[in-house]
Amino acid sequence: MSLRSFKLEYRSWIVIWILSLLLLWEGIAWILHMWMPPQQAASRLPYLHDVLAALVRYSGTLAEQGAVTFGNAAIGFTGGALLGLMLALLMSAAVWLERTLSPYVISSQMIPIIGLAPIVYGIIHNAEWARIVMAAYVTFFPIVIHTLKGLKSTAPEHLELMRSCGASLPARYIKCLLPSALPGLFSGMKIAAPLAVTSSIVVELMGAPDGLGVLMVSSLYYGSAQAGMFWATIVLSIGIGLISYLVISLAERWLTPWQPEFRAKGGNVV
Amino acid sequence: MSEGVVVNRKRDENGTAALPGSASLSGSAVAASVPGSEVQGQAEQGQLVGTARKKWLILRLLPWLAGICFLALWQLRLFHQLFSLESYQLPVPSAIAASIRDNAEMLFRYALYSGTEMLGGFLLGSLLGALAAAGASFFPTSGKAGIAVMSALNAVPIVALAPIMNNWFGDGIWSRIAVVAVITMAAMAVSLFKGLTSIQPQYGELLDGLAASRMQAFLKLRLPHAMPSLFAGLKINMSTSIIGAIVGEFFIASQGLGYLLSDQIRLANMPLAWACIVIAAALGIVLYEAVVLAEKRIIPWNRVRTNA
Repeated sequence: MSLRSFKLEYRSWIVIWILSLLLLWEGIAWILHMWMPPQQAASRLPYLHDVLAALVRYSGTLAEQGAVTFGNAAIGFTGGALLGLMLALLMSAAVWLERTLSPYVISSQMIPIIGLAPIVYGIIHNAEWARIVMAAYVTFFPIVIHTLKGLKSTAPEHLELMRSCGASLPARYIKCLLPSALPGLFSGMKIAAPLAVTSSIVVELMGAPDGLGVLMVSSLYYGSAQAGMFWATIVLSIGIGLISYLVISLAERWLTPWQPEFRAKGGNVV
Repeated sequence: MSEGVVVNRKRDENGTAALPGSASLSGSAVAASVPGSEVQGQAEQGQLVGTARKKWLILRLLPWLAGICFLALWQLRLFHQLFSLESYQLPVPSAIAASIRDNAEMLFRYALYSGTEMLGGFLLGSLLGALAAAGASFFPTSGKAGIAVMSALNAVPIVALAPIMNNWFGDGIWSRIAVVAVITMAAMAVSLFKGLTSIQPQYGELLDGLAASRMQAFLKLRLPHAMPSLFAGLKINMSTSIIGAIVGEFFIASQGLGYLLSDQIRLANMPLAWACIVIAAALGIVLYEAVVLAEKRIIPWNRVRTNA
């Protein structure tokens, strides 16, 4: 293993992993094509380069529809995140509110919220708003739960110190409670971002006029002839989910640099 | 006094699984709250001063009152008037309850089917994720990179996975198990890897100083340290697995709650569609509480329960 002796860096390992996964895809596709008639194989797992070619060929349509899906999901995500943050702050300030709502908020994550998407679309007969509302709804609960958890994880000694110094309520929030809630907020956002994209696509599957979900369904109907297109929509939806996840991770890295996993030495036993 | 209140609050959070669903579910919610009531909590309750006890009682009752109010307003069609909706768009709770009663047998059968998919995928995915995390924890750099790449699976919209798995595994139960397994795998790997590696440096140094082997460090330090993360991962997975199963059934399925849900929406039979959601929620909550209970039994030393 000549690679090992160079003591590779974290980043290069990520590249190696991704490359080997892509190679694995191409390899499995090749084996499938050896075994099966090409059309059947293409619907199972087309060649990676075929998918990429389809991505390039239909890039105009894909970008257009992807922008619709992503835009709606992003608007809903922002709204849901703001509302969730506000509710979490209110809940941390008023015990009775927290006691009233927390059982519902906690049990709400066991409810397949996405199952509501068709129902919401049935109620709001506007595809745009249905997507925004669903994305916001899906975002709301993880944000509330994780932010509240972050707010509660504030070290009691810190709060006691602030109180003994006569710090006002806003000062306590800005200097102590909010910073300790930020990691929670970010982990909530990281959970919610792909869910927001998913919920937006589910609404589209249920009969919205445009968006990635519509492309997905229509290319699925044409079967193996449109396999490239189908896989291109899937790759794009994965890409959208990944990009939103990465953006949030970068913001997390930037805004909460004190978290243990970002420290130069995270305490790895070597 | 504050001691007792804190204990009771903790207990309540885990025990009471009040539902924003239909009134007919309150039975199961009561059942879910029973395992939470521990002897210790009651002993402390006796020590409470009268006023504090009254306050605690009010706080304890608040969620139930709020839930009953919400259902009552819904039943009295306040939401219908607010958003100018018709009953066929948003059925009232009594209609949903009636629909559950009428279709109890079918709903039960489908709930079993969906529950099998959920549990199968949940166990398979969590096991694979745990194995990946355990393996990766032995290779600090490359393992961390591998988990980071794997966490990309977290960002994959479930709807994109469902048709792929249908292509691969046919329209049987295995395609949904595969969907659930794939989404749960990543969350478990990330959560457990975090637990296995975020260890106070001094503990690691101590074991290094004692010339512990890597396997010993894993078994004696990392694994016990990671148990809370393991359960946090299990809890996240329990709630995502129900979404995975339901969304997986939206596409191609001949039975299951998600199939019934999308079918009834197409037929505009909203009460039964809502009944599916209520049953799925009940299923999710029961299984989630089972994980919480297991956590309490297996790692009683974990004071701060992680509400995933």
